[in-house]
Amino acid sequence: MSDTHIVGKRVPAANANEIVTGQARYCPDIDLPGMLFGKLLYSPYARARVIRLDVSKARKIPGVAAIITHADIPGENSYLYAAADQPLLVIDEVRYQGEALAAVAAVDEHTADIALAAIEVEYEQLPGIFDPVEAMHPDADQIVPGEKNVLSSHSFSTGDVEAAIATADVVIQNKYQTQCAEHAFLETEGGVGLVEDDGRITVYSSCQAPHRDRMQIARALAMPESMVRVITPSIGGAFGAKDEAHVQIHAALLAHATGQPVRLIRGRRESILTHVKRHPFIVEYTTAATSDGKLVAVKARAIADAGPYTNATQEVLHKFGEFVGGPYKIVNLEVELIGVRTNNPITGAFRGFGAPQAAFVYESQMDDLARKLGMDPLQIRLLNGVETGTKTYTGVLIREGSAMKASLRKAAEMIAWQKRHSCERQPAPHLRRGFGIATTIKGSGAGRGIADHASAALEMHRDGSVILHSAAADMGQGIVTVMTQIAAERLGIDLASITVTNADTSRSPDAGPTCASRQTMVSGNAVLKAANTIRDSLLTMAARKTKTEKHRLDLKVGHLTIDGKPHELSVKDLALRASNWGIPLHSESLVHFEYPEDAPMATYRFAQEVFQFGTQIAQVLVDCETGQVTVERLIAVHDAGKMINPGGVYGQIEGGIAQGIGYALTEELIVEAGLTQNPSLENYIVPLSLDIPEIEIEVLEIPEPFGAPLGAKGIAESPLVPTAPAIRNAICDAINKPLYRLPMTAERILSIGDD
Amino acid sequence: MFDLEIEVNGKQEQVSVEADTTLLYLLRDKLGLTGSKDGCRSGDCGACVVLLDGKTVNACMVLAPQANGASVMTVEGLAKDGELHPLQRCFSESWAFQCGFCTGGMLMSCYALLKSNSNPTRDEIRAAIAGNFCRCTGYQALVTAVEQAAAELRANNV
Amino acid sequence: MKPAEFLSPTTLNDALELKHKHGAAARVIAGGTDLILRMRAQVLTPSLLIDLQHAALNNIKVSDKYLEVGASLTISEVLQNTRIEDLFPAIHMACRKFAGPPIRNRATIGGNIVNASPAADLVSPLIAYDAEIVLKSANGERTMPLVTFFTGAGKTLLKDDEILTQIRLPLSAASTNAYFIKLAQRNSMAISQLNLTTRLNLNRQGLIETARIVLGSVAAVPMRAMAAEAMLVGEKSSEDLFYAAAAQARQEVKPISDIRASREYRLQMTQVLVRRALLESIANV
Repeated sequence: MSDTHIVGKRVPAANANEIVTGQARYCPDIDLPGMLFGKLLYSPYARARVIRLDVSKARKIPGVAAIITHADIPGENSYLYAAADQPLLVIDEVRYQGEALAAVAAVDEHTADIALAAIEVEYEQLPGIFDPVEAMHPDADQIVPGEKNVLSSHSFSTGDVEAAIATADVVIQNKYQTQCAEHAFLETEGGVGLVEDDGRITVYSSCQAPHRDRMQIARALAMPESMVRVITPSIGGAFGAKDEAHVQIHAALLAHATGQPVRLIRGRRESILTHVKRHPFIVEYTTAATSDGKLVAVKARAIADAGPYTNATQEVLHKFGEFVGGPYKIVNLEVELIGVRTNNPITGAFRGFGAPQAAFVYESQMDDLARKLGMDPLQIRLLNGVETGTKTYTGVLIREGSAMKASLRKAAEMIAWQKRHSCERQPAPHLRRGFGIATTIKGSGAGRGIADHASAALEMHRDGSVILHSAAADMGQGIVTVMTQIAAERLGIDLASITVTNADTSRSPDAGPTCASRQTMVSGNAVLKAANTIRDSLLTMAARKTKTEKHRLDLKVGHLTIDGKPHELSVKDLALRASNWGIPLHSESLVHFEYPEDAPMATYRFAQEVFQFGTQIAQVLVDCETGQVTVERLIAVHDAGKMINPGGVYGQIEGGIAQGIGYALTEELIVEAGLTQNPSLENYIVPLSLDIPEIEIEVLEIPEPFGAPLGAKGIAESPLVPTAPAIRNAICDAINKPLYRLPMTAERILSIGDD
Repeated sequence: MFDLEIEVNGKQEQVSVEADTTLLYLLRDKLGLTGSKDGCRSGDCGACVVLLDGKTVNACMVLAPQANGASVMTVEGLAKDGELHPLQRCFSESWAFQCGFCTGGMLMSCYALLKSNSNPTRDEIRAAIAGNFCRCTGYQALVTAVEQAAAELRANNV
Repeated sequence: MKPAEFLSPTTLNDALELKHKHGAAARVIAGGTDLILRMRAQVLTPSLLIDLQHAALNNIKVSDKYLEVGASLTISEVLQNTRIEDLFPAIHMACRKFAGPPIRNRATIGGNIVNASPAADLVSPLIAYDAEIVLKSANGERTMPLVTFFTGAGKTLLKDDEILTQIRLPLSAASTNAYFIKLAQRNSMAISQLNLTTRLNLNRQGLIETARIVLGSVAAVPMRAMAAEAMLVGEKSSEDLFYAAAAQARQEVKPISDIRASREYRLQMTQVLVRRALLESIANV
């Protein structure tokens, strides 16, 4: 594919023009005639019994069109992600701060606020459980009656871990703690529901999974899914939190109840209080190695604080377990994964999905091991790293793994790793400079045992223009751009000739959720397949007309080429001829990511088949008197397969690292007795433009051989994964003390060594 | 109610608002200019940054009556006669955004910067957007876009 | 909740008359960056807003003893004023660390004072320069040292009929050796974990004649560490002296723990940063 004309080019995002002119429409921008404003009543307590919920006074307020409680839901009163244990509207007990009790639709926001204030709720506060270890105790009060507090418990082992540890030369054992982290997407959750003339419900949803939204909305309304239509408008970021449903179901319920369009948008405070967070983990981790640095065993026990409901806890824990050993050859491994209910915030998907927690732990361990053995942190990683052909401890063959060591070597070269300490290590009495490296693994695709398919429909019209329908949600990461580039490439047309509709469940079959770095592969393949069908029809036309064998023909930059030379026939001419001949230029494809026969899901649940590798090196300056850390340099080398659009790939890398810096140093949802103390962008400290260094990025383009369109694979998650451990290792290098807790705030850095 | 006159993107508007209406609400809900976004309503995110008499402000932190008699420029006012401002074009070409929700405010902060500094350093650009939160990018491609736009504008003015 | 009425008097006298007439029910709005938030949270529900932007409180002039700064000057205007940068550099330094550009374009120096946040960035340098403030009412005016103005978090001596109109910076404090430090969790859009200004005036013999150590976010109100200041006066500056004064300052502050920092960290940082600021104050001497 070296002679591509559009794939591999840094063309602007497909919706760039609408965005820079302010014309892109997000949920809060949708304004429909007769539209009402929806709001939810949220619990101020982390755990309380609802003694009385009386909406009668609020319903009488002029301008209030509807107020619904659990009793008014026609169908199922639950979200459905992995389990259906979380109600849409509370029945008798609130289990986390911000859980919704009632939904209001009113003529304007102000009236909706007045109505919320007029709803009478009598609570009996109950003692919550906020410590997952306490919640695991057999005698602990059940957070969800009838359900165990330990909602997920799995173990996985391979080899003989105890024997390997017993005979190892060196054993490193530590306990780690990671924080509850907030996505802080800029557009808060929103949905707009409306009732069509024929009784169908249409919902504009700021989401990652329009078809799963449709299923949940239909369940709640007790309507067939065919009567529900979900459309994604422009989406202002998601990062995992909009994979699970939020307010779009309530918007649909209110529209259904009132017969009028209802727009329901969360405020920032409610957004932070209510959507799923990155799970806080407690991890006990043992690494065993030989005296020359060869890993012989890993043993880990992880407890994830799930909050009261299941959400994606089990899947996140499995992903943590899948990568708990890192990108290393490990024969003996044992991992215990425990998800526990508490009355803390609910948790779920967040970019990386368990991999960032795992990476912080295994890469910290690698540095502690290197330090103990007096080895170079780079060499110990090269010594143990996986390669092409390595079978992972979960039993998956790494078909292309050369990027693991290539990324390490490239990153080391970029910062002159061997000479790194020749810089000024103590530029002032209180300042120490340090360098840290981290190398990580992350998968693309939903994983074994999970539906992993997508479809796309392409139609070329007689004028050569093309419409592309896909239900893959684009939250800003660029899948629509990727799809248009692939289609344009195969059809030999320019991007301006392609129109893409928003994801719309009434037009396109399920493309699955936009998660797990999967859409470039899965929807990318669907578009490639559909485009190839139309391409074949065009080339058939061309072969007939030019009396040339088809294999000598190609479509490039709007024209037919014969043996690589442009021919006077344009793609447009061919489209017109096809139309005149009655040959349809329409194709709808369905692709299913095919997991190999020899890899049954029993090997390891949700195990992925395609991997991205990446190495980052951080150079930090630590103020040893204040604990403040300045990230001076950040080197990032990542593997993206073949880049469809370098602008998008580099964007994912710099953006992932920015989030990784926050995860490392400042971001933490501070929750005390279940109550969030910093539910604002003022107090949840995300790094801004002056906090992030110029990131030095190198992309390794090693085409992926397995199931990847044109060799491309996902890149959305992996850049976030190595950042925190790279910074951790750099800080430890600077101050010569270890750190085991995220985020590494100035205050925490200063206090280590005190205890 | 408070009657006010305000010039928005060169157009004179007369509107009547409650005294506690914000400029952001006025722009989005009364005038239909939704390019300025509501990201926090507390001045923390910068998604609603517009120019008020030439200076960047968070429209959520200005009461509409405070803007009586003033002139406002929003992201919708950047392109002239359908032609994109160089900043808009460079934002697109450099992938200065991903989800685009910060872009309206970000463009206005950068527009204000280039009005006062035709040749900003990367650090100066970062300082100019220090009140504009972007969760998707690391600001890097964006800074490059502003550098390129500045160079174009300088070349055009020679 | 009845929305506030909004009036824009075109003279200071008209504004004072309105404040006289409506008292506590009326709130003055300058930039509004704090007031609007408090109104939104319904912490404040004024029935009248008196807009000061046309009341001519936004100029800077020099009198024989003072640089007189109008209370409605925005942080950006203060930041861009070269006279303030030259004569009172610690104020300039504080403005640079203040929020981000769009907030700086609205927030005013007077607003930063009357809101009486313990963490207000501009207050520590202003007190360090011995700033006085002018409070006017329809019945007259009074001036007072800024340091005496605060009575608690969010509380001041401002009376219901008064408006803060001016900040006076004594020229005797100009061009002395001052330094401002803000400790925060990020480089913009951050509330201080601690902020402080130190100012030293040296006599011809190189002895410290005047010393100011002013800290924010370490007590309910911005405060001077007066015992630490007293240790410095009459002495020759030295690292040891500064170390001792910093340790003394730590004894004087009364910080609390909150989401931004623990009490212990603030105590520790008081000592570290007072010493550092004192050293920086005289770095160019």
